[in-house]
Amino acid sequence: MKNPFRNRFRRWINRRIPRSDVQSFSQKNIFILPTGAGLVFGLLLVIMLLTGINYQSSLIYLSTFLLGAVFVGAMHQTHRNLSGMELTLVQPGEGFAGDDIPFRFRLKAGRDDAIAILLSCEESGLAPVHVHSGRSQDVTLPVHSAHRGYLRPDRVRIETRFPFGLLKAWSWVRPVSAGLVFPRPVPAPEAFSTVEDGEESAEARSVDGNDHADIRPWREGDLSQRVLWKRFARTGQMVVADWEGEQGSPYWLDFNAYPGADHELRLSYLAFLVNERGKSGVRFGLNLPGQIIEPDSGPAHAARCLRALAAWGEERPRDTMAEPHGTRRKPIGNSPQYAGEGQA
Amino acid sequence: MSFLDRLRGTQSEEATATNLPSRALLWLIASFALLLSPQWDRLPLWLIAACAVLAAWRWLAQYGKVRLPGRLLRTGIMLVLIGVYVATVQGRFTVDTAASFFVLAVGLKWLETRLVRDFYVLFFILVYLASVNFLFHQEILWALVNFTGIALLLVGLQVLNAPELPGGMTSGWRRLGGMFLKTLPIVVLLFVFFPRMSPLWSVPLVSGEARTGISDTMRPGDISNLAQSSERAFRVTFGGEMPAYRDRYWRGLILDYLDGETWRQGQQEPFRALGRVAVDGGIGELEPNQYDVLLEPTDQRWAFALESSRAVSDNVFEDSADLFRFRRPADSPVRYRLALESEASVAETQNAAELRRYLQLPQEGNPRAREFARELRRTMGDEQVVRTLLQRFREQEYFYTLRPPAMPEDGIDSLLFDEKRGFCAHYAGATTFVLRAAGIPSRVVVGYQGGENGAGGDYLIVRQYDAHAWVEAYVDGRGWVRIDPTAAIAPDRIESGLRDAVAEEGSFLENNWASPQRYADVALVQWASLQMDRINYQWQRWVVGYQGQSQMDLMSRLPGGFGMRELGYMTAGIVGAGLLIAGLISALQMRRGERRDAFRRVVDTWHRLCATAGVPVRHGETPSVLASRLAKAEPAAGDSARLFARMVNSHYYSAGKDDEGVEQLKRMRRLLATMKRQLRRSGTRTGKSSD
Repeated sequence: MKNPFRNRFRRWINRRIPRSDVQSFSQKNIFILPTGAGLVFGLLLVIMLLTGINYQSSLIYLSTFLLGAVFVGAMHQTHRNLSGMELTLVQPGEGFAGDDIPFRFRLKAGRDDAIAILLSCEESGLAPVHVHSGRSQDVTLPVHSAHRGYLRPDRVRIETRFPFGLLKAWSWVRPVSAGLVFPRPVPAPEAFSTVEDGEESAEARSVDGNDHADIRPWREGDLSQRVLWKRFARTGQMVVADWEGEQGSPYWLDFNAYPGADHELRLSYLAFLVNERGKSGVRFGLNLPGQIIEPDSGPAHAARCLRALAAWGEERPRDTMAEPHGTRRKPIGNSPQYAGEGQA
Repeated sequence: MSFLDRLRGTQSEEATATNLPSRALLWLIASFALLLSPQWDRLPLWLIAACAVLAAWRWLAQYGKVRLPGRLLRTGIMLVLIGVYVATVQGRFTVDTAASFFVLAVGLKWLETRLVRDFYVLFFILVYLASVNFLFHQEILWALVNFTGIALLLVGLQVLNAPELPGGMTSGWRRLGGMFLKTLPIVVLLFVFFPRMSPLWSVPLVSGEARTGISDTMRPGDISNLAQSSERAFRVTFGGEMPAYRDRYWRGLILDYLDGETWRQGQQEPFRALGRVAVDGGIGELEPNQYDVLLEPTDQRWAFALESSRAVSDNVFEDSADLFRFRRPADSPVRYRLALESEASVAETQNAAELRRYLQLPQEGNPRAREFARELRRTMGDEQVVRTLLQRFREQEYFYTLRPPAMPEDGIDSLLFDEKRGFCAHYAGATTFVLRAAGIPSRVVVGYQGGENGAGGDYLIVRQYDAHAWVEAYVDGRGWVRIDPTAAIAPDRIESGLRDAVAEEGSFLENNWASPQRYADVALVQWASLQMDRINYQWQRWVVGYQGQSQMDLMSRLPGGFGMRELGYMTAGIVGAGLLIAGLISALQMRRGERRDAFRRVVDTWHRLCATAGVPVRHGETPSVLASRLAKAEPAAGDSARLFARMVNSHYYSAGKDDEGVEQLKRMRRLLATMKRQLRRSGTRTGKSSD
């Protein structure tokens, strides 16, 4: 019984509030209802009125009317607190799956001060924000991410209960832009790249000055066969040789290197490795089905690889109802006469 | 649950104790103190002390100085306080005791105010406490105290809802004031037109607690106690001329049974069901012979009236013996209206059987007075006895004093023949005794005599020290005749009041330091006190006393015969119209606000321009994409379009510095104009027509 109603309500809301990164609030999209405290307040007024009637006390009548008027005044106040405001999604965030992804929003107050504005998305919310009239303020709202891919909050709720907390006015913004959620890093087992080195990697190698093998300290996850036991016996140092050619290139992080593993798991391994390599500053490339990122180094490269991992196989969400920046709800540009003239 | 568990439970509760903003709590406590103040004279001292301690406890806990009590201690405190309450109340259930319990509940709530929810609970009960206060005090100052208390609460709520807002307090007051001013017309209209229904059910306000005022028994010393009080008894407005001071005898009740030393009412007043007195006597124009009395609560059914009055308002009726009564005890201020009748119409006769009641005397006591009466009777007729008695009072050394000596045995004898010092009650009692002993039917009348002019001289204030007792004797052919021995002994008392009568003695209000009437010789004090009284009187008459009868009177002056139902419609109409007007105003403001958003307008113009150039805006398109599409379609305008798009972006994505906004907007407008020119030029060159 509740669910169909809920769904209808949601559809109705979605019609009223189309997807847009910018949302300004007016009577058309602000909802206002008494809070629990507001309902109790109403009850209190009824009781006070009864008391006034029963004890023929004009002053109780008077205070009842005054408080009733305050309630109506609060309704306008609460509404005006939100109306005229503009909420813009400035920067959708990025982060690893399971983490809170920071979305940057800008709150711009209209003619009236916007006091004690609460921004929330599902369970996460922000402390009240005050924006004075005409000013704007940026806030970062953490949005919980469950899995890898594009993260687009269905609705971000903006609410205010100021001044008395007896009424709440709220609305939603339904952003178009999506944040990116990287795969959750999972420590990867030793892998073999299937990519043959191209010319660029050969070049890179010669720059590095290593001809055929990388010798590096052992670290967790290295296969024991690859440890140079002879050297260990000699020096006591456990080192590993990354042989190229016979074992694939260590510069390539390869999606196909983990046969048998689930796709998402492979992406998680890769994310782990990208993180690691990115930190150590070595050059590496990323090989994904349908997308190859040539070896490079540096944080920008690592970020690029992570984004590629996040977006792999995912469709960028697009909403047909979305609107460009700066448009009003009813774009005027689509009228046929303009279109006809333009193409003539 | 084990004891330890319970302790642990309370500790975890304590962890959440401090998430209420201190400033909001401070407002709440301030409001509590303010709202408690109107009750200071009614509440038992222990309760006020307990409330102070409990609120202080909560306040100290806010700063971590003490801990809020755990559940066990809290329950303990609650049980102890409720125990004390039950012990003091002793099973009486009235609004008064209920109000005390309510205060106790508020006090206890402080100990468990931990969460926002508790804050709201306290808010609600404190608002209701303000309403309860109105039941007991309606004076304008107390009303202001109550309304201020409510305002403090509302400011506290604002602080609670935006604790970190800088300057939140001032803006809170300003916001509240604005709200109040904007809604004031509606409030006033509602107050006038909201139908005043009759009570749905009634609980009497009477608490059984003693009030200052005359009582239905009189012992010799009683009224001199009253003379130490300057509390108001009632106020009177006359439609015509005020009667002279000496004629202002306000009759209240008749005491006709002497029981040892004490005068009582011979016939008990019939018991009436408890309930509420009709407090409103109407506000119609006063006829020249009419007068309006606004009586302070007495918890009695007596209405005070001048001799030979007639009831006009229907909340008061005439009882036997020319006395007036309410239908219910006056537990709140009552306004009633009476009319004076011409003296001629008073000619009642009473049969001998009824008159016998007024000859009752105790079997024994005061032999000298009895002997004296017999002596008089032997030689004189009724009227002559009275005259002789008064003459004796006038000529011999009788004193009118607020400090009478104790006369324990045969009081009337020692008053008349030895001490010769007494107060009105002494003399009235003694006179009645002598007259009865002489066979003349007579009775003690208790009420008030006199009354000073209020500020502006348009009404009278009668105070408790104007309480008076005098005598009425039945004379054949003339009916009941007023005899006032005090007038014979101390004419000042009757001509200008108690102050002058005891001026020499200096005993006027000698035990009452705080009374402004005591300092009547200080002109400023007198003036201030009278002005205050006038404001209160008007407040009481027009605001507090505005009830059913007044409303009907007022409505009857409006055209179209307003009844209860019309008032109901009217009220609904006012509420509806108020909401509608408020809605319209806010919608208008909104529209103006939208029009003001210049940036939006500029972007809209750009979109129209693009559409004209054959590049209509697509959904979800960013400014840059639109610009590049426009550049593709119309290369001439490409640069300016891209620049424009960058500006739009920077408006959205750069930190909004307002000062730059205006400049930026100007630049954008100029750019738009350029773009338009470029488009037009390219249009004409390539033969595309844009018009």
